[in-house]
Amino acid sequence: MSAAAAEVPAAIAKRRRHPSSHREAPFGFAMIGLSCLFVAVFTAIPIVASLGLSFFSWDVISSPQFVGVENYQRLFTDGPVLKSFGVTLGMALAIVVLQLTLGLALAVLVNQRKLVWIRTIFRTAFYLPLLASTAAVSIFMGYLFDYKFGVVNYYLGLLGIPNVPWLTSGLGAAATIVLIAVWQQVGFTFVLFVASLMSVPTDVLEAAQIDGAGPLRTLFRIKVPLISPTILFAAVVALINAMQLFDQPYIMTKGGPGSATTTVTISMYQKGFQNLQFGYGSAIAIVLLAAILIITGLQFLAARKLVFYQ
Amino acid sequence: MTGIHPPGGPIARRTVLKAGAAGGLGLAALADLAACGNSDGGSSSKSLKMLYFGEQAAATQLQNRLQPQISKLDSTIKFEISAINGTDWNDFLAKVLTQIAAGTPPDIISVATEGLQLMASKELAVPLDDYVTKDLSALKEYFADIHPALIESMMYQGHLWELPDSFNAGNMFYSTELFQRAGVVPPSEGWTIDDFESAATKIAKFKGINAFGWVVRLWGSWTSFMYANNANLLEEGKYDGGDWLWNKAYAGDPAAAGRKGGWKWGAPTANSEGTVEALNYMIELTKKGLSPSPDVGGGGTLQGLFASNRIGMSIGGGFWAGGLTNAGMKNGSFDVQLFPKWKSQRHLFGAGGYAIFKSSKKKDLAWEVLKLLVKPDTFDLVFPGNVTTPGRKSLVTAARYAKTGPKHWSVFYDTLTKHPETAPIPAPPYYNALATALNQRTTQAISSGNAKAALDGLQSDLEKAAGAS
Repeated sequence: MSAAAAEVPAAIAKRRRHPSSHREAPFGFAMIGLSCLFVAVFTAIPIVASLGLSFFSWDVISSPQFVGVENYQRLFTDGPVLKSFGVTLGMALAIVVLQLTLGLALAVLVNQRKLVWIRTIFRTAFYLPLLASTAAVSIFMGYLFDYKFGVVNYYLGLLGIPNVPWLTSGLGAAATIVLIAVWQQVGFTFVLFVASLMSVPTDVLEAAQIDGAGPLRTLFRIKVPLISPTILFAAVVALINAMQLFDQPYIMTKGGPGSATTTVTISMYQKGFQNLQFGYGSAIAIVLLAAILIITGLQFLAARKLVFYQ
Repeated sequence: MTGIHPPGGPIARRTVLKAGAAGGLGLAALADLAACGNSDGGSSSKSLKMLYFGEQAAATQLQNRLQPQISKLDSTIKFEISAINGTDWNDFLAKVLTQIAAGTPPDIISVATEGLQLMASKELAVPLDDYVTKDLSALKEYFADIHPALIESMMYQGHLWELPDSFNAGNMFYSTELFQRAGVVPPSEGWTIDDFESAATKIAKFKGINAFGWVVRLWGSWTSFMYANNANLLEEGKYDGGDWLWNKAYAGDPAAAGRKGGWKWGAPTANSEGTVEALNYMIELTKKGLSPSPDVGGGGTLQGLFASNRIGMSIGGGFWAGGLTNAGMKNGSFDVQLFPKWKSQRHLFGAGGYAIFKSSKKKDLAWEVLKLLVKPDTFDLVFPGNVTTPGRKSLVTAARYAKTGPKHWSVFYDTLTKHPETAPIPAPPYYNALATALNQRTTQAISSGNAKAALDGLQSDLEKAAGAS
């Protein structure tokens, strides 16, 4: 080891011992501690509490009664709740696929624009819906897509198209909610993809061009593999969000018609807060958490073969 | 006490807390919250707290209006009204219970028929029997003015849990302008369901107009047709008892004959012939283009559409008079009539009133405030602008409806006096589960067109809910 190299650890050690470092340490710990406190209070403790509560029968008013795994046994034989898992999974998959496809398509199109200000305008336009309150958007969309009085059907009527039961038929309601959720969330995926596409090395793209690759071939053989880690991240985040879909179906259809748009979170809310079965509602929440963990785990397993890290 | 009990029977709250400590801080915290709900909570010693269904701005106004009168009862007490917002009573009750669990139970609560049996069965409130008996002479004038059907709707298992001050029966509102344009003669008291459909068919000819509009809920939905078809979601019965009140407060009143200790909602009958027929009728109305697919909710949108003359008829109670006026409708542009006769002309109603919370430390003062709240001159302080129907008959007058309308305002109270078979909505202790299931199964029926399958499902849902309660 050279003398210079030996001096470096010594300098680090000296700096560590510097009085100002000691003064900064409590501040650093306070900052980290604050974050930890928030995570503990708003995430960790509620999860632990829900797990504990799922072994009880509790109607908020009376004392909790320990029921062991009864809530879980009930869940796996409760047809409507099991159906809500199916509904959620179906809607979540549709949302994720549409969100990624549309986000990527928009990002590629916008990235082709040479003028920076055009790209900025598009980025802002696509990102804006994400900033709007989901509850407000859902109320607004409920009016827009109303079967009889909605603006959408009004304009379709001008074109001679009969009224579409956007929110009053099972398939229509599910599809409308998926489209609205995608419209609101696609901005997030889009921004991720735009940033990722911009980081694709230009020499690689030029090499592909010299080798005679067309735009589509370049996209699917060069760009997509290179941004696959971002696609994985976007897919994981989108799926976790979609599995917790609540606001749009609750506000626009109350989970209906029938139970066509009753997602797991709506089931959980109904059992817990409306039917006063907080233990059972917690059990549903825990099973949903487990389902999300399993699906995310599967995504990462699949990513080992599909994701390309430079 | 209701709820699912463990195989080994109930365990003490202390044991639960120990389990919580072992299992994590979170459960302990939650169990502690539960304890707050049962403990001697109530408001602080210097305030009297009331929960109110509505906007906080209105609640604050009401609080300020009532404070001078409360101060006369006790000059040291600050009256506090907390508003709880929601689309319907189902939402309200869910939030009330959450607030109780959070350790802030009120002294007084304003609850409608929807939540009465839930509240009483959980013993959240105290029966008013002793208070009423003690002050019967002072309350004689009140009982003489309140229809016994409203009092009976506030009884459960022989006890009186609330003093009612308002109600709304499911009558039929109609647009006089649309009726006139369609050449339909305004309905008379004894009109039938065929008259209703005939009027609807004529109105439906106008483009962009729906002849009949309705929303999915328990009060005044397709359930009004169900009542007129002599059917119900649950078996009807009455609890024994109540003589302590009927024999003293309503002695000699023929309208009180046969009244007992409150409505006893029995086994579900959601897929009975009459119920299926009623829901099928709604599906037929939709298929014929006389009615759009309904929304789930409180009916605010419906009032807006009615006020803009896009709906010819809709089910409404006295609260529609104020609601339509607030939505911009002029006096004379709408009117009301009794619900049309089908197999019967039985109406449904829901009543509103006030109860004293069990955890209140100021029950005696709360009782005095309850008496104040049901006084005739308090009604318009609480409900300015005809936003509900007065429970006191003396307040249902031509003068009250002179500004807002409707012309046939007397229909509101006639529903009780001329139709003694009129009954409250079926709201058992498991009302919340019932309302959720009813909403889901109704939308299922309308979208699928199969009322029988949907109501078979509802029957199963209600049987489960009844079994779990």
